[in-house]
Amino acid sequence: MTRVNGSNGKVPARTPPARLESGNLVVVGVGGQGVILASNLVSQVLLDAGYDVKKSEVHGMSQRGGTVVSHVRFGPEVHSVMVEPGSADWIVAFEWEEGLRSLSYLKPNGVALVSTERRIPPAAMLDHRDQSLEYPALGEVPFGVLALDTFAVAGDAAAAVPAVAQTVLLGALSVLLPFPVEAWQASINAWVPRKALTGNLRAFERGRALAPEVRAAEAAARTVARTVEPGPEVVPSASASPVEHDGAKRSRDGVAERLLPVVRIERSWCKGCDICVAMCPEKCLVLDELDVAVFARPERCTGCQLCALLCPDLAMDVLWVPADDLTGWLFANEEDRVRAAADPR
Amino acid sequence: MSLDVVSRPPADVPQGGTVAPEARADDVLAAARGASWPGASAEKHFLRYGMMPHMLCPGCGHGIVLDAMLRALARRYETLDDVAFVAGIGCSSRVVGYVDACTLHTTHGRPLTFATGLKLARPDLEVVVVTGDGDGLSIGGNHLIHAARRNIDLTCVLFNNEIYGMTGGQLAPTTIPGAYTSTSPKGNHEQPFDAARLVEAAGGTFVARAQSFRTRDFEEIFLRALEHKGFSFVEVMTDCTEYFGRTNRLGNGADLLFSQARADVAIEADLAGRPTLQEVPARPVRPVMEMGVLHESRRQTLEEAMGLVEAGS
Ligand SMILES: Cc1ncc(C[n+]2csc(CCOP(=O)(O)OP(=O)(O)O)c2C)c(N)n1
Ligand code: SF4
Ligand code: SF4
Ligand code: SF4
Ligand SMILES: [Mg+2]
Repeated sequence: MTRVNGSNGKVPARTPPARLESGNLVVVGVGGQGVILASNLVSQVLLDAGYDVKKSEVHGMSQRGGTVVSHVRFGPEVHSVMVEPGSADWIVAFEWEEGLRSLSYLKPNGVALVSTERRIPPAAMLDHRDQSLEYPALGEVPFGVLALDTFAVAGDAAAAVPAVAQTVLLGALSVLLPFPVEAWQASINAWVPRKALTGNLRAFERGRALAPEVRAAEAAARTVARTVEPGPEVVPSASASPVEHDGAKRSRDGVAERLLPVVRIERSWCKGCDICVAMCPEKCLVLDELDVAVFARPERCTGCQLCALLCPDLAMDVLWVPADDLTGWLFANEEDRVRAAADPR
Repeated sequence: MSLDVVSRPPADVPQGGTVAPEARADDVLAAARGASWPGASAEKHFLRYGMMPHMLCPGCGHGIVLDAMLRALARRYETLDDVAFVAGIGCSSRVVGYVDACTLHTTHGRPLTFATGLKLARPDLEVVVVTGDGDGLSIGGNHLIHAARRNIDLTCVLFNNEIYGMTGGQLAPTTIPGAYTSTSPKGNHEQPFDAARLVEAAGGTFVARAQSFRTRDFEEIFLRALEHKGFSFVEVMTDCTEYFGRTNRLGNGADLLFSQARADVAIEADLAGRPTLQEVPARPVRPVMEMGVLHESRRQTLEEAMGLVEAGS
């Protein structure tokens, strides 16, 4: 296996390792963007490099612009086809919101290459008269994300077939993987229809020329401290959290931590009115046998705060806690529950 | 006792750098009272923890409004030392008892008169009046129009739940036509007041209407009302689950919140044909009402006229 440097002679500081042991990739987008084709293409490169590769796809509503997700896992021997949340080394997203939505799959120091292309789903329309939208702003780029204006990068390469622009992302991804450029070109040759072939090859090349930016994003994801993290500060108290904290800083061994939402319910204030249960769009909350709200499905919580905003008893707070501590925090809640059940005053 | 509790502004408030790690004095107090919790949002630090949980019924909309008011205050003030809450009598008026500010719980219908005296004696205070539709429009209706006429620099929030909650669900001057209450067993035959337009006509210089359901909107409107110089009036539609909801068989707190969403101009076009909750023809129809800031103007305030504060500031 030959080692690859930047194809254009601008040799970056850190080159990828000669051989990766294993890896997890998540490719997301919406129907018609070529997500499946792209994951086939990457899988081909991996198979040619001698890995065991497993790939899975979800594309239910893809014909009408619905979400399309493909998981690609490789290594000496791969058993499960699914990438677990928090374990993707790379995310390649063809659409901005889909990219942000998939971030829970990313490892704490993984890299997400996200196109700034916007495909706005009908459900995001808040008011049809003033056209107001609920759609994440392009200005706010979360930690670990490299936002790429794929159309601008692709330029005339995508003039004939617009979908070709997203191949820029594969060029950028190729910088992070230790395979020769010829392997990628061969895979593109094998999978892409004739009429779009030259466009795809050129878009790939332009993406690969982004090596300095891509490497910088990778380096930042490995080292940058928490000032650029998503979500607000959380300073857990020593008593409730299983980890020590030191005030404003919240990075472990210099590695920034990903934060996940946790709903803290003050059980002694909750009157079991059912408002949070009915209002939560993700159905995360239930009432227990004492008619007290319980954060039953934390994995589905988006941190939207609707429950806390509409709780008439001010009994809820949405906290953002480091992903590794999540079980500790949920357990802290659970302890409250057990205590309350034992002492129903 | 843990002193590790650090207050944190709500997520949407721009934060300059990182949160100071030192606990604030009121955090220490809150921790000492034993009911604060780690990560509690900023507005919770304005609560009298020892008094919680509050006495409102399950699902009562007044609690949602209280939380939103505290959120707005947390965006404007570090402490509530220079904020006074004045309230009359009623479930709505009762909420000031949970706010860790200077509070006056006065007599039925007279919070605006107490507040007028307080404001003239201490023009430096931010004075917020909390009143109900019974408190502010029946027994206190005259005080309301005269406070508006005088344009005294108060912020009055009227919790409109279309009923007298505290005394057992009697008809209020805001009860919608057809609604059942303990004093209108055959349904209401009277026309309700449009409180916001009443105050505007009487001379109020900031007039708005909001809903407990769209709590973020109310928060923004309340913040603007606080900033306004002159008499600011915010009518906020809330739900009495225990009497209005139950007597009219409108469902639980969540159902009532959804019914607010339906009585909203934003969706008027879609729902004009079927604005009733649960589509039961015999049940009262929540009218579609204008929401948002309905009137805003600037004229001399009473304090300015009396030379108590510098004019034009
Ligand atoms: C002088 C006087 N008259 C009557 C009462 C009885 N009373 C107490 S609260 C209330 C009505 C409160 O209604 P509202 O202001 O709408 O408050 P809500 O409970 O609905 O929030 C009445 C009539 C009283 N306390 N004092
Ligand atoms: S924050 Fe949003 S998603 Fe999470 S529990 Fe509350 S309402 Fe549900
Ligand atoms: S909204 Fe608040 S009071 Fe009602 S059930 Fe949920 S936590 Fe309990
Ligand atoms: S009686 Fe009505 S207004 Fe009063 S606390 Fe209960 S639900 Fe709220
Ligand atoms: Mg009332």
